Amino acid sequence: MQWFDALVQGVLLGGMYAQYALGMALMFGVMKIVNVSHGDLVILLSLIGISLASKLGLGPFAVMAALVPLAVGLGWLLQKAVLNRVVGEDPLPSLIATFGLSLALQNLMLQIWSANSRSLPGGGLESRSLAFGGIHIGLLPVIVLVFAVALTWGLDLLLRRTRFGRALRAAASDVEAAAMTGINPRAVYASATAIAVGILGFAAVFQSLRSTVAPSDGGAQLIYAFEAVIIGGMGSVWGAFIGSMVLGVTQAIGFRIDPGFGVLAGHLVFLLVLATRPQGLFGRA
Amino acid sequence: MVAISPDLPAVEVRRQTASGRMALLALALAVVALAAMPFWAKTGTIRMVLELCCYLAVAQMWNMLAGYAGLVSVGQQAFMGAAGYALFVLAQTFGVNPFLAIFLSLLVPAVLAVPCYLLLHRLDGPYFAIGTWVVAEVFRLVASNLSWVNAGAGMSLSVMKDYTGFQRNVAMSLLCALMVLVSIGGSYWFLRSRYGLALIAMRDNPVAAASQGVNVRRLRFMIYVAAAVGCGLVGAVYFMAQLRINPQAAFDPMWSNVAIFIVMVGGIASIEGVLIGTLIYFVADRWFGEYGASYFVVLGVMTVLVALYARGGIWGMISARWDAPWFPIRRHLILTGDKTP
Repeated sequence: MQWFDALVQGVLLGGMYAQYALGMALMFGVMKIVNVSHGDLVILLSLIGISLASKLGLGPFAVMAALVPLAVGLGWLLQKAVLNRVVGEDPLPSLIATFGLSLALQNLMLQIWSANSRSLPGGGLESRSLAFGGIHIGLLPVIVLVFAVALTWGLDLLLRRTRFGRALRAAASDVEAAAMTGINPRAVYASATAIAVGILGFAAVFQSLRSTVAPSDGGAQLIYAFEAVIIGGMGSVWGAFIGSMVLGVTQAIGFRIDPGFGVLAGHLVFLLVLATRPQGLFGRA
Repeated sequence: MVAISPDLPAVEVRRQTASGRMALLALALAVVALAAMPFWAKTGTIRMVLELCCYLAVAQMWNMLAGYAGLVSVGQQAFMGAAGYALFVLAQTFGVNPFLAIFLSLLVPAVLAVPCYLLLHRLDGPYFAIGTWVVAEVFRLVASNLSWVNAGAGMSLSVMKDYTGFQRNVAMSLLCALMVLVSIGGSYWFLRSRYGLALIAMRDNPVAAASQGVNVRRLRFMIYVAAAVGCGLVGAVYFMAQLRINPQAAFDPMWSNVAIFIVMVGGIASIEGVLIGTLIYFVADRWFGEYGASYFVVLGVMTVLVALYARGGIWGMISARWDAPWFPIRRHLILTGDKTP
């Protein structure tokens, strides 16, 4: 029973990680770049959300309604101001630019919000739970998982069914050929980053409801997103989703074995996948 | 078959320049001055110079990885911490002479780098970088959970009490000289060798280099292991001077931040750039370090600006104007004029 409980908690935790991983999978799939400040953006949005909630007395879903458009705008701006200049064959410029951005963002947040951990008040939402045959499941983690599934499903549909999705996939497989058929890669890239960061708007609300956030937490979120993407396998958003589940379950089981072992267990499974199946569990070889 | 023309012009290959000879002389003098520090510097100065040499060596290792081998790592602290811990275990737990233990401890990063590279090289470009960070995190978490390195609380190097202050200063000074000699001198020697030629070809275009017979994979592997050992040396020396080690400090990502700043601002893929970048960082750290967070905001923004607008960094701008390299690695073909009979 204890292990079944860990499994359930792990899947719920995976719902949180999926919301980080989707954006990273999208950006890498389309532009072959990794945004090192991915985790710091979650934290930045969380802290803005917490400040909004305390200044204006907004509830968590009102904060989300404000935060997601803000995140979309932030992503668009990031692409226009920074990433468009560093997209290319060489991975170094984009890595360095976003690495510098991460360093600047982290310390800027430290200046504005201090190093304290904060969380978003959920108006009782965070403490409610549902009981299923002896296992208590928090209502909030279930909502997080539902959102994660909906976001993954929506993104997958967007990529497979819409005109915009086709343009994105065309730019991802051959940017020059796509440009010849009348697609503006810069515009496609800007929308991809806007969506990727927009999803982080949801993640930010849930992260700050579930636990606390502090300016230095971004690195860990980046690593979890990255591990989920690699475990699941590049190429599909559902791969990132499944990778998040595997990571969440591994961490939850690890935490049951020893509290110091949880995060490490996640890293070890990542390394194991890398050693035995470098294309990821669901990636095409 | 085409007959080779009998009257080929007489040429010679020039590899050293006047500016290069001056720089080599300056480097030799600097190494001697570093080794002789106990006779001209106070303990505080020696410690400061030691820190400077550590930044210089780590940055140069990162430069070899990212600038030449195309391996962008943000996890070199893994090997610094590993060697640091190896030193503490050897010297403190097993009673090995600490100055001997520094060199023995280099085996640990060398051995660990092999499986790390075999795993990480499967990751594509930018993912490789995040992968190195995961490895560093794994090392940190393992150290935090291992009871025989005193887990999260860390270890002290109390055996250093057996040595007088002067003895310690002599050791630190010699180690400073060694770090500069190995990182700068060693890199220069390597870049001038046939491996260096292959490395520069690889930097310019890995596919073309491979088609010319360069074993790109083996060369990358060699650089990765060599950089791990180099960073290990810095880690062992740094934590010996600190006398304390704990997982948080040993595997601090700050080292990657500093190395990237130094190399990018100074000028990537040049030894001169690393020297310039280290000096800038060191002076900035002394002057503005007290401003804490806002100082790091400026460092971060500068790194972004260099990546966006001036990929070659400061040395890139200088060398575009004046052709006077300090560490020339190019080969110039000079026509000697009169033909030999």
